[in-house]
Amino acid sequence: MSVLLATIEQSGSTGEQIVFWVCAAIAVVGAVGMLISRRAVHSALFIAATMIALAVLYVSQGAPFLGMAQIVVYTGAVMMLFLFVLMLVGVDSTESLVETLKGQRIAGLALALGFAVLLFAAIGNVSYNFAVGIDGANAADGGNVQGIAHLIFDRYLLAFEVTSALLITAALGAMVLAHRERHTPRKSQREQSEDRVRSGEPQNLPGPGVYALHNAVGTPGLLPDGQPTDRSVPEPLRGVSAAVGVDHEDTRRVNALAAGGAIIPGKAEDES
Amino acid sequence: MSSLLAAASFDVPTIEYGQLSPMLIIFGVAVLSLLVEAFAPRGSRRPIQLVLVFAGLAAAFAAVVMIRGTQHIAAMGSVAVDGPALFMQGAILVLAFIAALVMAERQVDPLGDAFAPRASALPGSTDEIAFTRLGWLQTEVWPLFLFSVGGMLLFPASADLLTMFVALEVVSLPLYIMAGLARRRRLLSQEAALKYFVLGAFSSAFFLYGTALFYGYAGSVDLSAISDALTANAGSMWLVITATGLVSVGLLFKIGAVPFHQWTPDVYQGSPTPVTGFMAACTKIAAFGALLRIMYVALGGIRWDWRPMMYVIAALTMIVGTLFALTQTDMKRMLAYSSIAQAGFMLVGVIATNQAGLSGTMVYLVAYGIATIGAFAIVTLVRDSTGEASHLSQWAGLGRKAPIVASAFALFLLAFAGIPLTSGFTGKFAVFTAGIAGGATPVVIIGLVASAVAAFFYVRVIVLMFFNEPTSDDGVSVVVPSGFTTLAITISVALTLVIGLVPQLILDLANQAGLFIR
Repeated sequence: MSVLLATIEQSGSTGEQIVFWVCAAIAVVGAVGMLISRRAVHSALFIAATMIALAVLYVSQGAPFLGMAQIVVYTGAVMMLFLFVLMLVGVDSTESLVETLKGQRIAGLALALGFAVLLFAAIGNVSYNFAVGIDGANAADGGNVQGIAHLIFDRYLLAFEVTSALLITAALGAMVLAHRERHTPRKSQREQSEDRVRSGEPQNLPGPGVYALHNAVGTPGLLPDGQPTDRSVPEPLRGVSAAVGVDHEDTRRVNALAAGGAIIPGKAEDES
Repeated sequence: MSSLLAAASFDVPTIEYGQLSPMLIIFGVAVLSLLVEAFAPRGSRRPIQLVLVFAGLAAAFAAVVMIRGTQHIAAMGSVAVDGPALFMQGAILVLAFIAALVMAERQVDPLGDAFAPRASALPGSTDEIAFTRLGWLQTEVWPLFLFSVGGMLLFPASADLLTMFVALEVVSLPLYIMAGLARRRRLLSQEAALKYFVLGAFSSAFFLYGTALFYGYAGSVDLSAISDALTANAGSMWLVITATGLVSVGLLFKIGAVPFHQWTPDVYQGSPTPVTGFMAACTKIAAFGALLRIMYVALGGIRWDWRPMMYVIAALTMIVGTLFALTQTDMKRMLAYSSIAQAGFMLVGVIATNQAGLSGTMVYLVAYGIATIGAFAIVTLVRDSTGEASHLSQWAGLGRKAPIVASAFALFLLAFAGIPLTSGFTGKFAVFTAGIAGGATPVVIIGLVASAVAAFFYVRVIVLMFFNEPTSDDGVSVVVPSGFTTLAITISVALTLVIGLVPQLILDLANQAGLFIR
């Protein structure tokens, strides 16, 4: 740590030091907060704070392009997209903190601590007796952005081009895993209504089981004549609820209810 | 004004298109095959894709043969086109060709090929049933496959860590997706894909961290510049050793070395079996190529610092892989643990840090890769009504039901065990002699003991197939495949025998490849 301090003292004004310590603190707090917060939204906001703090550090170190890219791409695009997804999933969803592997958290903490000690020891022991700074590199090509452009389109042209393969793969993978194709052409409203009339039951689909004693979607609704119908049950569940078995007691109550008798659950047997 | 000056001073970078042609062909064909997905009518996609894939792989292999003997650092210092790189590119292309034959199979599963009809349909949903009934195929696997192969060609040839990192991602990303596309046991497959993706991303981060530290040490990510900095003894050794450890984690993960092997059995089991064969064989070659290049080119100067680490990892990998393979009851998991053990044997060649170690590892990789693709191809053929019958007990008496298939499988197992007259013996012999020459005798002794123990479980499967009575009416049968898988198994059997009987052919080829250029 003392070495780190010494290098900071060597390079940079008091203002830069203040910026460093403020932003470094925000970055570390954000990183730790990201790890320990239970809600995914809080994690996302913490990591956004970390990224903005890092961006400020990049700019203050003479790398404005990197700083701006960090804000625009990571904080702006990636993290906000991430937040959108979280909003769609549900802001209130919290992570299940049940350990599926016994003692995983302890072991993970111990290993992380060991790794941190190793890295601190290794990087803390590094001493530079030369502080080049980025100004030299910036001056060589007439500016920071020009310097980066020179590297990307000259020395690392191939890596830059091959990255496009990566982006194509990512887009293709997202399509393969998430894009729902239609296997039958979509029916127009006219076709739907024609089908319905042709089916002999031109009314709407029966509603969910309003008289049912369960509010599960697998519980069949009632037709106007009082018969339960599984057409109100979503298609994938039809076989499943049949597999669960018909609760004959429930069916009796539903039928009784449809016949006009008033049934208070649990008291039916006593009255009859 | 300054920007104008800078623009004026910009020289157009020189790209040696000829020397990069193998990977440029594969990437080009991959983009073409993507356009086929976008524009060709559904029914004609599969035949067009197959023509593109096989023609592309053959053309890229021809390009590798054309540029043999090149010793040049191409693309402004990004790609080292040298003997070992070309040897490994050729090997990857041949193995990818065989793997593609297995992937193209459509006859063994009555429902279609090995891939889900639509990966986006929920497992077991009515949508999925409808897609299966319509007979749709997820032909997007072909562009994904080609992108992965393209990354594999670049990975062992990268001359700087930045290009190597990009190549690592290009290799991995399509594999993560392909792992989740199995037609049968979809949930297991999706779990495999997620595990592979999360752990893979984690290990990539280690690689990147190591790269950053190398840059901090040498002021460059070029492998030769790191080597020069080490020779000049500039900067802090702490940084180099930490960086070496971190970069090794990233690569050892891809190789599946202990203790970074946990993903291997789950992913090998859950992935579609043809993809398992492809990823077991080709990823290993590419990742070993990259590991060898980093260790030999950049870090050869501090081999005394990293060799103890590799000693421990190689020994652990051999021991853990072998012991866990002994206890498996699932064929794909057993082959997964066996591949972990094989990675340990190959690491002996990396430790040797001499020319023989390099060529020995390359020979071993080829021998192992061919037998692996062949073995997984046979796993796809042994089926019951629910799909592949991968439980070991279901393989009992297979020698009576299908003597030819069982014999081929036995041959591959003997090759894994390293029995003389098979390719595995050639590979093991080359690696272990190099290890002894390189002063790694203790690891070689552990390797010999581990091979002896490993031979036990390979032979156990052979005994199970040939000397046990088949369980009556368990519904397991060996399906007759179409020409694709038949050809793949035939090529694998032939190459396994040729490398075993006439080892000099491939040993000479590997020796001629020479050393890495700087």
